[in-house]
Amino acid sequence: MKLWSRINSLLRNLFRKQQVERQLDDELRAYVDMITDERIAAGMPASEARRFALAEFGGIEQVKQTVRDNRAGASLELLWQDARYGLRQFWRNPGFTAMVILTLALSIGANTAIFSIVNALMLKSLPYSHPERMGTIYTRVTGAVASDERHHVNGEQWELLRDEVTSLISAVSGIRASGINLQAGSHVQYIFAGRVSAHYFDVLAIHPILGRNFSDEEDRPHGPKVAILSYGVWHNIFGSNPSVLGQSISLKGEPYTVIGVLPDGVTTPLNAGVYTALQPSHDGEGGGTNFEAITRLRDGATWQEADAEINRAWLHRAHRYELENNPGAQLAYYSVPLQKGQTATLRPQVWTLMLAAGFILLIACANLAGLTLVRVLRRTPEVATRLALGASRWQIQKQLWVENLLLAFVGGAAGVVVGLIALRGLLVLLPERFLPVASVPLDGRVLAFTLLLSLVTSVLFGMLPALVTRRFDLRSAIGNRTATGGDHVRLRQALIVSEIALTAVLLAASGLLIRSLIHLQTLPPGFNPDGVMTARLSLDDARYHDAAAFRKLLSESISAMRRIPGVQQAAVGLSLPYERSLITVGPAINDGKEAGQLITADETYVTPDYFAVLQIPILLGRSFTDGDGPDTQRVAVVNQTLVRKFFHGANPVGRHFFKDTMIVGVVEDVAMAPGIEAVAPITSEPTLYLPAAQTEASLISMAHVWFQPSWIVRTASPVEGLTAQMQRALASVDPNLPFSGFYSMRDLLAKTLATQRVEVALLSAMAGLALLLSAVGIFALVANIVAQKTREIGIRIALGSTVRQAMVHTGGPGVRASLLGLALGLILCAGALRAMRSVLYGVGVYDAPTIGAVVLLLVSVTIIATIVPTLRIAGIDPATTLRDE
Amino acid sequence: MSSKQANLLQGTLDLLILKALGAGELHGLGISRRIEQTTHGAFLVKPGSLFPALHRMEEAGWLSSFWGESENNRRAKFYRLTKAGKDQFEVETEEWTRVALAMTNALKAT
Repeated sequence: MKLWSRINSLLRNLFRKQQVERQLDDELRAYVDMITDERIAAGMPASEARRFALAEFGGIEQVKQTVRDNRAGASLELLWQDARYGLRQFWRNPGFTAMVILTLALSIGANTAIFSIVNALMLKSLPYSHPERMGTIYTRVTGAVASDERHHVNGEQWELLRDEVTSLISAVSGIRASGINLQAGSHVQYIFAGRVSAHYFDVLAIHPILGRNFSDEEDRPHGPKVAILSYGVWHNIFGSNPSVLGQSISLKGEPYTVIGVLPDGVTTPLNAGVYTALQPSHDGEGGGTNFEAITRLRDGATWQEADAEINRAWLHRAHRYELENNPGAQLAYYSVPLQKGQTATLRPQVWTLMLAAGFILLIACANLAGLTLVRVLRRTPEVATRLALGASRWQIQKQLWVENLLLAFVGGAAGVVVGLIALRGLLVLLPERFLPVASVPLDGRVLAFTLLLSLVTSVLFGMLPALVTRRFDLRSAIGNRTATGGDHVRLRQALIVSEIALTAVLLAASGLLIRSLIHLQTLPPGFNPDGVMTARLSLDDARYHDAAAFRKLLSESISAMRRIPGVQQAAVGLSLPYERSLITVGPAINDGKEAGQLITADETYVTPDYFAVLQIPILLGRSFTDGDGPDTQRVAVVNQTLVRKFFHGANPVGRHFFKDTMIVGVVEDVAMAPGIEAVAPITSEPTLYLPAAQTEASLISMAHVWFQPSWIVRTASPVEGLTAQMQRALASVDPNLPFSGFYSMRDLLAKTLATQRVEVALLSAMAGLALLLSAVGIFALVANIVAQKTREIGIRIALGSTVRQAMVHTGGPGVRASLLGLALGLILCAGALRAMRSVLYGVGVYDAPTIGAVVLLLVSVTIIATIVPTLRIAGIDPATTLRDE
Repeated sequence: MSSKQANLLQGTLDLLILKALGAGELHGLGISRRIEQTTHGAFLVKPGSLFPALHRMEEAGWLSSFWGESENNRRAKFYRLTKAGKDQFEVETEEWTRVALAMTNALKAT
């Protein structure tokens, strides 16, 4: 009741202020009038009665003010007054206001965008029920070669996990969704397909809206061909028709029965359009570590029990691949939360970016602290007057804090907008399927973070001026026109030193990444990437599991492409330079002194003209010919790295390996994405080339599950509509095989270096922002000194100083601060940049050109930021300035 | 406030206003006059104290107000006790009696 009455009056006081004021006015006037009436009734003349009444009342305005001060919400009212006063101040200083809000918008925007990614990857729960009960399995190897990471698992591990670990519901999937062709009627569409085991959707707690999940029978090797559609595919391709259930659709050239449809809006780690049963087994695909495991803790079980069961089941396998080439090593398995497992590889990068964004915020705060300090000092007369009129120090402080908060909130709101734009730009920059989450939302947590950030910045940049005004000396403030202590310039210099130091670190870091990227992009490719167009398609297709059908497709389609006007040569290869390739583990060398040596190498089938189309030089022996067919001597071509690694550099032509395959040629290395050892994003790996015509049926069907072969053509000059003509050429052989994409070699290189490009783009953007903010900081400092010292400079010039000397004198503090900051920054670099070692290629941590460029850039920016404001000195007329005082 | 008039103790004014309104609704000047009358001129409540107190007590829910006609037909704001105000009066009276008794005893003691 009492509370209600208070809230009621609070609302009335705040929102119906005029009415409340009018009533107060009426009430008090009635009081005066009544006293006047009394006096008149007692015989006093009217005018005197009124004067008496007013005198007895004693100051209507004071009474009103006392009533107002006691009203509910009076403090809010005062706050509002402070805020309005602050807004008026901002309005009168548009330059200052714009600068502050822009600085805040950019720095808070950068932080908001990066935090959205941190949030999406690490903080937001996975979009499944009870995500804390979901996990994956890490393998910890201790010994000579130690590692602690998520491993892919093989068929044996999967069966043990499924059958012996009862605390968990487990499932495996293919490592990533792969592009396949879905044929519905006459329409062929290229979509992403995920291959998952039974219970995969149980682990994710996803229930189909139509039909059911895969059963154990359907997941057995050679089980029935069944598929589950995502909502998107069901909606877009099948028109949300419920009768699709039980129907047969054509996937990978084979009929599959649709047994379920997933609900709208659900995603899986594979993020595919259609799911088929994995049907994992011991051999074939399951002979290697080609599955990815996910788990869910059963009700009542604990992670400790589950881990104990996993270790019991997996440690007693006969063939533990984890321990190969690592004598004396120990193995342990443990569960980690699924989210951690999914994002582990991106975490360091994301945290680095968050750190860089934090630097930006600090730099921005240092700048703003300098700016607000100047502003507070300029307001010295106003503050002095208010203090002299009886305002308390707290009231002055409150005014300043209210203004800081206002700025921070406006800046924060602008920052959300900038962050949203930056985030969208960033997501466009990222390659498709780069982030392991479906979306990066700007949700409540991000907004709360931004709000908190705004508060923190306002405190950070408001603290310094607040401290300065606390030591405010009223007498000297009123005496002087402005308070300009030398220590304030020193304070601002200190701020600039720290800004420049942080900027130097960011610049050096982005410089190293840029050098790294340039190194990678200019590596000799080992072939001629110009004038080549490639087209990829999914041959994960039952019609081409047969070796003869496969050979026929290749030879006919290559002939068709050769007939395209302008095309000089055409070839097909399972993988291309710059890409990852299939890896073969273990064929043994049969003869010579390396007999028995096992080969681990990239393996790819190619048609005879492959080396000619890409212009890969043949160093020894011969290339493949049309004569290398299914019934002739099995042959292979190897690259130089393989020769160096497995033949001690000796000529291997004529040597045999694996079931009597003869090496007939050696070719130059080409740049590849790493598959065997991830030493750099582009590397030379030992490579085995096999003739496509000699590829065995078992390899064809397995390789095509994971890899999509490429059709490659070389043209002398650009050909109009080349890609459409390539598609037509293919359609003349098989109308139901669409190319999934066309790529120039430049595209492939860019795709392989996507991570590096994103790193460079983001860190450079941050470094650029930091540089801009620092330049603004120096500029503001020097401009301010010029403004304050106009009179002093006037005297100096009058006494014979040249404009040049005056400029050096005024610009000095800015330059000195910047140089000191640079020195400090370089010292910081020495420590901080070592953390980058793992992402640098072809460039050392202490890279002279990078450091030189950073120094040069910062020095030139400092000089520009100093000279521009000091140019005003040239316009100072000593006579005018001296008279002005 | 003239020197011969006692300073109002903190909280006393509230009690006096509650008491003054106990007999029925009154406007500001009426309350002032009633207090002057009942204390035989010992307390003269000036508008500077009266109005802030009235508004505060109204916001606290002890008083309610309405606009009415004064004796000589002036439009005036009248106050009356609410249920909460009546309760508050009981509480404060009790409190006051206790304090007054304690003070009297303390001053009598030797």
